[in-house]
Amino acid sequence: MSEQANDAHPLAELLRRPVLQAPARAAWDALAGQEDAASVTRWTEAILSLLHANAGAACMAALLRLRDRPAALAHMAESVTDICRHAGSSAALACIEAWVALRAPGLWPALRRLGREAPDCVAVAARQAGTIIAATGWDGFEDFVALGLKATGHEKARRAAFFTLADPLAVQALSRGTGSGFAARERRLKLFAAAILGRAPMLRARPAAVGLPPPRRATLSDGVLLLPESFPGLPETDQAMLFRAAVAHGLTHIMAGAPRQTVGTLKPLALAVIGVVEDARVETLAMRRFPGLRRLWAPYHVARPEGITVTALLARISRALFDPAYLDPHGLVLKARALVAEADIADPTASRRIGGLLGNDLGQMRLQFNARDYVVEPAYRDDGLGLWDFEDTTDAPPEIMEMRVETARLRQEEGEGRTDPGQDAARGTGRARARAAEPESVLLARYPEWDCAAAVERPDWTAVRAIPAPLGDLRRLEARLEAMPDLRRRIDRLVRAARPGRPRRLKRQPDGMDLDMDAVLDAEIAQTAGDLPDDRLYRGTALQMRDLATVVLVDVSESTRAEAVLETERLAVALLGDAMAGLGDPFALLAFASDGRDQVRLTRIKGFAEPFASVQRARLAGLSPGLSTRLGAALRHAGVEIGTQRSVRRLILVLTDGEPSDIDAPDPRDLVEDSRRAVLGLRARGIDVFAVVLGADGAETAGRIFGRTGHVVMRRIEDLPARLSDLYFRLSRR
Amino acid sequence: MDTVSVMIEAEPYYRAVGNEIDVFSAAYRHRLPVMLKGPTGCGKTRFLEYMAWRLRRPLITVAAHEDMTAADLVGRYLLAPGQTVWHDGPLTLAARSGAICYIDEIVEARQDTTVVIHPLTDARRVLPLEKKNEVVVAHADFQLVISYNPGYQSAVKDLKESTKQRFIGIDFGYPAALIEAEIVAREGGIDRALAERLVDVGRRSRNLRGHGLEEGASTRMLIHAGRLVLAGLSVGAAAQAAIVLPLTDDVELREALTAAIAACLE
Repeated sequence: MSEQANDAHPLAELLRRPVLQAPARAAWDALAGQEDAASVTRWTEAILSLLHANAGAACMAALLRLRDRPAALAHMAESVTDICRHAGSSAALACIEAWVALRAPGLWPALRRLGREAPDCVAVAARQAGTIIAATGWDGFEDFVALGLKATGHEKARRAAFFTLADPLAVQALSRGTGSGFAARERRLKLFAAAILGRAPMLRARPAAVGLPPPRRATLSDGVLLLPESFPGLPETDQAMLFRAAVAHGLTHIMAGAPRQTVGTLKPLALAVIGVVEDARVETLAMRRFPGLRRLWAPYHVARPEGITVTALLARISRALFDPAYLDPHGLVLKARALVAEADIADPTASRRIGGLLGNDLGQMRLQFNARDYVVEPAYRDDGLGLWDFEDTTDAPPEIMEMRVETARLRQEEGEGRTDPGQDAARGTGRARARAAEPESVLLARYPEWDCAAAVERPDWTAVRAIPAPLGDLRRLEARLEAMPDLRRRIDRLVRAARPGRPRRLKRQPDGMDLDMDAVLDAEIAQTAGDLPDDRLYRGTALQMRDLATVVLVDVSESTRAEAVLETERLAVALLGDAMAGLGDPFALLAFASDGRDQVRLTRIKGFAEPFASVQRARLAGLSPGLSTRLGAALRHAGVEIGTQRSVRRLILVLTDGEPSDIDAPDPRDLVEDSRRAVLGLRARGIDVFAVVLGADGAETAGRIFGRTGHVVMRRIEDLPARLSDLYFRLSRR
Repeated sequence: MDTVSVMIEAEPYYRAVGNEIDVFSAAYRHRLPVMLKGPTGCGKTRFLEYMAWRLRRPLITVAAHEDMTAADLVGRYLLAPGQTVWHDGPLTLAARSGAICYIDEIVEARQDTTVVIHPLTDARRVLPLEKKNEVVVAHADFQLVISYNPGYQSAVKDLKESTKQRFIGIDFGYPAALIEAEIVAREGGIDRALAERLVDVGRRSRNLRGHGLEEGASTRMLIHAGRLVLAGLSVGAAAQAAIVLPLTDDVELREALTAAIAACLE
């Protein structure tokens, strides 16, 4: 081709570079015959602007080597150009390589977004894309990127750690998988376990260890049963049974309650064999008590009398010890059966003795055993690590230490949130103490949060912590209350008028379903005596039930410092509390503020079970303003608290002075939408949510969050004490 | 309103689980009113039938309900041709004739209704009939017994303090496993091994109390399950029909309970 023709070529600039000449020409030839001329033009323009963006030759060549429909190629070329502009040529090259390897839709939009918002992470994310997509599914990559950007904010180091999958949050997000695993079944499994065991055992998702693939088996750690988020490679429908089988197996260990044994000088192979024998021992014990468990486990014992790898032999021994009808001529399998048959299976030391003997034989067979790759079979069994005390030996697998720490933390959370006193307390180890939480805040629960931009709910995003309430100057509060006698008298009157009662019986009604016997008698007597009988002969009932439980949620964020908002809130809540106590309506008073998503600080002024007495009033007096307003998390927690009440009507009454906001949420819309979703969720559960907004500033946002009829704006803050109680009476009549 | 006044002729089956017979006998000796507390279907009514038989007293049973008035207990004037006639209510009847008056599930009645029993339950042992202008002095053999289930009382449905404090309390729970199996075998007409298995099944549901179930399976439910098995159902099907389905509508709870029951059965 002549120089002239080259100059006229749409890719002339590329053709002038020797290294790009051949790929450019080939790419052009592949596209030239295509009908979609518009896309070809787009592609050409994108390729040229990539060249102008100083893309290296390797990147250009890689892009030119891609083949696809013109529209798809144009889209890719534009994306690569965009990424190259923001993140540089090598990042763009990494993206192209990821695309070649994965061809995953959703890859480009996510990488482009990353290029704009976190250019330093594009290359690493592109390299990890395969792992991420394998764990989350095709459409999970975009979501994963959005999660990373949101979670790490502007902390560069943490962001890099996230996308190299070194950050715990990233690992957790990957192990959560497609979201239909353990989390979806947790309640059923807990109920099942509680029914079997007689007390609620601790069942948790097994946290994935950093740098390791998601766990594939359950594990036990100090009486806590940790289950994988899902069992990979099994269809959805079979997961349910497998989870149940795994929980049942975990329970057999808990029921047998054998103490942890020291590892001593045992080799990994011996540990594996002893684990198999111990599993068989506790299962046999459990099946004596619960014969139906055999049906649950039997489908998973599929080993056949073939295969002489260690894994195969151990699976064969497992089946032989489980299934008396299984025939297996292998000497080791026969020996295992014979040893177990003559042992006393109630003796927890038997497993170690028998397993040791079998382990010796197995060792002499000189078979390859790689402890790192070994996975217990059948799949429902735990990984056996819970049997052992690795003391502080350095050869303990790294994930064990991690797990210990994790269970210590779970135990702590569990012990505080729920009533499970004394359980396993004796077994608490020194390790638990190594991770004492900061003394004054106690984790109550974690809640999801709505990510508006990504339109997904981020699980466990916020942590609500209980902050002990300092006692304030009660006398001052009481003095201020004393100063408004008229208001108090009026509220008293309202209380008396609304005092609860059961249905009132109405006598002598003009109509109804039942005769009022006394009225009939009187009428009959009147008639007999020649008088005019009263024709109101019926009785009826009038419902006058009060069955309303309320959580009052008070915003004590920094903004309530201005104009003595908090002072006024305090008075209003005190008056309202007196009214509710007078009515006998159950209620709780909670105050909230937040300092980032991990610190939603909740102060309990009064719980449902407490009276509204001087201690509670002193806590109310002791509230002080500070920090931000993460309303959604506080609402969700209020929903949980009120969920414990069995009243027919349940109401969450929010006192706030404006928009939700927090230090780690740059876009205030996020928290508004999250709060809105929290409100909708509560309403869907039949819980009324009503907000009193102080000052006119928050009116618009409040309308968005609580709905037009779900809030009232109080422009003059001084009106609050008088109007809050009125409002409560109106709401309670609704 | 149900009123049944019977002299119980044949000995009802009752298996004592504690000292309840001694307590009741002692209370009866001094005609002290008694309250029987306990979950539903654990044998409160059966116990009282047995005691009535043992003490050879007629038993008048009133099932309390929301719409019950004081007149329903005490009595009222009814119309007869050309005149009105007084009719004694069950409580008056029992007080006059020296029967045991048993008010079942008393918290279901309204608190203002239940106060009519007060004069009968203290040293006075009288029942004033205000409308008739008469004071009935209780027969020497009269005794008042009430029952209620503390499990599902709410703030609205509770006894007044002034009512509670007039009674001797006897608490009923589920019997120990072996005793319960004996009862289920006897009442259900099934063999001992099956009864033991059913009791074990029942225990699974009782484990879920507070985890979503208000109450676990009652002894009565287990007896029903036993009868279904006797009629030819498999144990699993009988447990499902007589225990799981009546107990809960919560799908997850049902699934968990069914699985736990399956684990108990061969």
